[in-house]
Amino acid sequence: MNAAADHVETADTLVRVRGLHTRIGAKTIFDGLDLSVPRGSITAIMGPSGTGKTTLLRHLTGQLRPDAGSVVVDGEDVPKLSRRALFGLRERIGYLFQNSALLTDFSVFENVAFPLRQHAKLPEELLRNIVLTKLQAVGLRGAAQLMPSELSGGMARRVALARAIVFDPMLILYDEPFVGLDPIALNQVLRLIKTLNKTLGITSILVAHELAAIRQVADRVYLIANGKLVAQGAPDELAHQDSPWTRQFFGGEADGPVPFHYPAPDYAIELGFAEPAQ
Amino acid sequence: MNANLRRNWLLQGIASVGECGLFFVAVLGALPKSLRYWRETCRQVWFVGAMSLVIVMTCGLFVGMVLALQLYYTLSIFGGTAALGTVVALSLFRELGPVVTALLVAGRAGTAVTAEIGLMRATDQLDAMGMMAVDPLAYVASPRFLAGVIAMPLLACVFNAMGIFGGHLVGVTWLGLDNGTFWGNMTSTVSLQRDILDGLYKSIVFGGVVSLIAVFQGYTAPPTSEGVAYSTTRTVVFSSIVILAFDFVMTAFMT
Repeated sequence: MNAAADHVETADTLVRVRGLHTRIGAKTIFDGLDLSVPRGSITAIMGPSGTGKTTLLRHLTGQLRPDAGSVVVDGEDVPKLSRRALFGLRERIGYLFQNSALLTDFSVFENVAFPLRQHAKLPEELLRNIVLTKLQAVGLRGAAQLMPSELSGGMARRVALARAIVFDPMLILYDEPFVGLDPIALNQVLRLIKTLNKTLGITSILVAHELAAIRQVADRVYLIANGKLVAQGAPDELAHQDSPWTRQFFGGEADGPVPFHYPAPDYAIELGFAEPAQ
Repeated sequence: MNANLRRNWLLQGIASVGECGLFFVAVLGALPKSLRYWRETCRQVWFVGAMSLVIVMTCGLFVGMVLALQLYYTLSIFGGTAALGTVVALSLFRELGPVVTALLVAGRAGTAVTAEIGLMRATDQLDAMGMMAVDPLAYVASPRFLAGVIAMPLLACVFNAMGIFGGHLVGVTWLGLDNGTFWGNMTSTVSLQRDILDGLYKSIVFGGVVSLIAVFQGYTAPPTSEGVAYSTTRTVVFSSIVILAFDFVMTAFMT
C-alpha cells in the first residue's frame, strides 16, 4: 500500500481506491493504483494521455469493473454493487462528459429536466423551478428553449454541468472540462467548479491537463503514469517537487520519463544504414 | 473475441449472430422496464409507422398496378381473367405485402434507427443515460424494437389496401374487367385465417427482425463516422437477407 496515500487518509474520505489493477486488451492500464479523495475537496487527476484517467472515472462510477483492487465510494464497494444499488449510487454522482453528451432530441430545459423526470415524480411547477434554478446557476436560464445543436461548446458544457448538479450530487466527476474552450468559457467553467464546491460542498474530481486552471481550483493533485501514482500534493508544492515525472510534466519537457518517441526498432537499422547486431 | 476468431469471417459471423441473440434476450428483458417510457415508444411508433406511410403507400399502389398488368396478361393466356382480383389479393396478402413492406421499412426506418443509436453511442449519450441511472436498453433499445413490431403489420395492411386499389385501378378502370367479378371472386376466395392472418403473422415477425437488427447494429457500431456508416449499410443488407430467408421458412410452415 502506498504510504503517501495513507498520509491524506482521514475519517471523511469519500473515494478510496486501493490496489487497482486493470487491463484492457493487452494493455495494462492500472498496476496497483492507490488514492483517496476527502469529502468537500477539489482533486485533480493529471497524467500523460493514455494513462487511463478517464478509465479511473469509469471505475468510480461502475461503468467498468477492475480486474483486482477495491474502489470504495461513499462507503460502498463499487465493483461489488448490484445493478440496482449501482444506479442508486449514480444518482448521487454527477458526471460531466468530455463532449457534454447532451441528448440531441431534447431542448436545453428538457436535458436538465431529464434525470428529474426519470427518477422523481415532481409537480411540473416544482420541476420547472428546479431546472431554472440550475440553469440560472450556470448562467443559461435564457437559453432554456434552445436545442443542443444551437449551443457553442462552452455553453453545451455549462448545460451538461447544470444537468449533472440537478440532483444535488455529493460528488461530481469532470472529464476534461476545459478542453476546446476559449479563455472566457474556460474561466466561466472554472468559476462554476469553484462555486459549486464552495457553496454546495460538492466533492469534485477533475481530470484535466490545464496547469494554470488546476492551480487555481485544485486542493490536491494526483499525477498518474504507467498505471501508478507517481506524485501527489498541493498544485504549487508539486510544481516544485524534484522528481523526473513532475519535472517533465510541470516543466512541459518533450522528452523524459514519458518518451517523445513511440517504441520502435533502431532508426539506423530501419533506414538500412546499419546492420542489425547478430 | 480473441484474435484467431476475429480472423475467420465464418466464425466471426456465427459469433455476431450469437451476440445478436444475447442482445435480443437483453432487449426482451428490458421490455417491462421500458413500459415506463411509453411516450418514447409512441414517438418511435410514429417515427417508424407514420413517417413511412408515404413510401409504403406509393410503393403499394405501384406494386398492385404492375401486379394486375402482369397477371392480366398471364391469366388471359388461359382465359381466366375473371380471377384477377383473387390472384392480386392473394399475392399481396400472402407474400408481397409483408415482404416488400419489411424491405421498405428496413431501408427507410431501420437505417435511421441504426445511425441514430450509433451516433448516440459516439457522442456518449448512451453512457450519459447510464450515468443518470437510466438504463439505455430500456430507454433507447426496447422502445425502438417494440415500435417495429407494432408498426410493421399496420404498414403491411396499408400496403395491401393500396395494392388492391392499384390492381382495381388497372384491372377494372383501365382494362375493363367487370367490377362485380373482380370483387366477388376476391371476397369469396380469400380466407381471413389462411391468407390475411398468415400474412400479418409474417409481418409481425419481420417487424421484430428488422428493428432488432437495426437496434443491434446501432448499439454495437464502432464510435467513428466510418463505423456508423458500415453499420447502417449492414442493417439494410442483413435485414434484406433475413427477411427473405425467414419468408421462405415461414411460408413453408404455413402452407
